[in-house]
Amino acid sequence: MKVLTIALNTFKEAIRDRILYLILFISIFFIVFSKVLSMMTVGDELKVIKDVGLASISLFGVFMAILIGTNLVYKEIDKRTIYTLLSKPIHRYEFLLGKFLGLNITLLVMIIIMSIVFFGLILLHNSKFEAKFLIAILLIYIELAIITAISILFSSFTTPILSSVFTFSLFLIGHFSKNFKFFIMKTKAPIGKLLIKILYYILPNLEKFNIKTEVVHNLPIKSDFVIYSLVYGIFYALAILFLSALIFHKRDFI
Amino acid sequence: MKKFRIHRTFFALLAICFLLIAISVQIKIEKTKRFRVPGSSIIYLPSGKYLRLVTFGFNSLLADIIYIWAIQYYSDYRIKDRFNYLEHIFSIISALDPYYIDPYRIGALIAWYEGRRIDLALKILDMGIKKNPNDWILPFEAGHYAQMYKKDYKLAQYYYGITMKIKGAPPLARRLYAAAAFKAMDLETAYRNWLEIYQTAKDKRIKKIAYNHLYRTKATIDTIKLEKAIRKFKEKYNRLPMNLNQLVRAGILNKIPKDLDGNDYIYNPHTGEIKTPYTPWKKE
Repeated sequence: MKVLTIALNTFKEAIRDRILYLILFISIFFIVFSKVLSMMTVGDELKVIKDVGLASISLFGVFMAILIGTNLVYKEIDKRTIYTLLSKPIHRYEFLLGKFLGLNITLLVMIIIMSIVFFGLILLHNSKFEAKFLIAILLIYIELAIITAISILFSSFTTPILSSVFTFSLFLIGHFSKNFKFFIMKTKAPIGKLLIKILYYILPNLEKFNIKTEVVHNLPIKSDFVIYSLVYGIFYALAILFLSALIFHKRDFI
Repeated sequence: MKKFRIHRTFFALLAICFLLIAISVQIKIEKTKRFRVPGSSIIYLPSGKYLRLVTFGFNSLLADIIYIWAIQYYSDYRIKDRFNYLEHIFSIISALDPYYIDPYRIGALIAWYEGRRIDLALKILDMGIKKNPNDWILPFEAGHYAQMYKKDYKLAQYYYGITMKIKGAPPLARRLYAAAAFKAMDLETAYRNWLEIYQTAKDKRIKKIAYNHLYRTKATIDTIKLEKAIRKFKEKYNRLPMNLNQLVRAGILNKIPKDLDGNDYIYNPHTGEIKTPYTPWKKE
């Protein structure tokens, strides 16, 4: 109940943030702009609309998660509202969980708005609703949940700017992680191999949530893959969240 | 309050003034001639293999962007050596989004129709065929290029052979395969395929087309056989046979082949030439 109250308050606070609307506006602009871009191609125009649309939802969703996520906890500390909050019978992990849920509700609303524009554009072009895009967007949302957890982790012990940089770096590394396998193959020293292997499993593997190419090209997507990716995402986000709680517990506020 | 309003108006006017100055300067800049090396932007494009590593999950989007850019690049006729980079550009797109079919088709189109480089066109299509073995359009187009422009019928037969094995390929692919086999002088294959097309065709028009091809293929096989026999006869008797039956009497052939309709071939004893009784496509 306490978590839910914090989550709803976080949501109310987040939707008042102007930067959120600015990012939403830019993302919608890009989704709509894909129509103009598609006119410049030769061949399948819809492919460009789908690619730009999904990329916009993904990329601007990440920006939203980072810019709001890194500020949420820090703001409470900076404005000292956290003292009032933590003096109440609330566990610190409940506070973080509430923040996490609140931000995820915000992101869900934003993703729904972006998706409506995206599907509207496809329907205008194709007059056919393609449900497989919902799977791709669901996986993007789970990826954003991980990014949110990471941004909360960093914002629990450092400044928003540094948190943004660290979170964005992890987002990039997360999409680079599949290349770690290549490095493992190329590294000759067993210790090096082991270290890269550990890194590969510890760092978020965000490519597991990237099925944009598959859905755009109508390639088969195994349900196992989607289910395992969802489970992986949820557990990874929870792991990060509890790590944040651990760090947050050690901080002296009161 | 009044002071604040004056300030606000003043700043707004200043902003508009500066913007207008900036716009007029921009117009001035655009009129100034700049020296540029057309197409110099190409040097910034690394190989697709490395580019893919840093796309961070947006490889498909990047492929779209490079493809759209490539269309603009190849529309610029000032870049004289633009075809030198064709393979490089389209291999990047292919590495970023191997399932994107349009770039292979357009790349091949540019390579041949603009650059007159048939081998390059086929190379780009080959790239696509390798990465999209279930897509029939690429080998189909490669077959077309090989047959129509390279005039390599063996190669065309190879591509049409790939096409017709792919699920969803149009029945036309098999007819083109048989036609290419005929032109490549793989007459047995051509005959076998035209016969199958003839036997399975439901459409009257297709049946007639297949029959005409069958007729021509059988006539070619028979003509080659007869001409070979005539040459043997000439070597033996130092003259041309008076009629085709002499080939049987001389023990060169067991029997004289007849055309598909059961008619005799027309033999010219003065030139040794063999002709069919009629041209199949002219037959009513």
